Amino acid sequence: MLPLSLLRTAQNHPMLVELKNGETYNGHLVSCDNWMNINLREVICTSKDGDRFWRMPECYIRGSTIKYLRIPDEVIDMVKEEVVAKGRGRSDGKGRGGAQRGGRGGSRGSFGASRGRGAPSGRGGGGGNNKPRGK
Amino acid sequence: MASTLDSYVNRSVCVITSDGRNFIGILKGFDQTINLIIDDSHERVFSSTQGVEQVQLGLHIIRGDNVVLIGEIDNELDSRLNLSEIRAEPLAQIHH
Repeated sequence: MLPLSLLRTAQNHPMLVELKNGETYNGHLVSCDNWMNINLREVICTSKDGDRFWRMPECYIRGSTIKYLRIPDEVIDMVKEEVVAKGRGRSDGKGRGGAQRGGRGGSRGSFGASRGRGAPSGRGGGGGNNKPRGK
Repeated sequence: MASTLDSYVNRSVCVITSDGRNFIGILKGFDQTINLIIDDSHERVFSSTQGVEQVQLGLHIIRGDNVVLIGEIDNELDSRLNLSEIRAEPLAQIHH
């Protein structure tokens, strides 16, 4: 499971984000992207020492400033469902792809066979030359 | 020797971060930047004056930038530790 898949699944859930500078942000995750940049809503910011607090309706945090995120335990089970659903989709795709590939492989095989048939005659000529050498 | 963290997935691991903290939990996933999913985690806080304090934390995503070390934990050995008896200086943070 990928950390960013888990984060995506945690959208609309409450979370705690600790930044590298020690500040923490508590809020609901609105959105996130592939760089871990995140949008939080209904945020409470706590200073590094935990002695000062700020409330803000929303904030945007650059992913590179994050140290870690604490996420509700149940979110990990919700990812599994998504992954399974995706996995089914992928296996279907593979099945179809495999059939196509098989078809192409068959045509390639017959092409190879015709070549193969051609080759012995060519080689046969060569073989004629080779045979005396072989013997 | 594995060159990825694949062999650590679903096992107990210890993660040391660049701020000198020590997280223990089950590694559930990782990516190419070493972002980690640590489930059922707790932090072990070392002190030179009292035993190791364990702080329950739960599900975590640790950003790869901060990860210094990931080690597999031998659960049997770990369960034999008497953490309340262990005294140790906490690790210092990394200075850039």
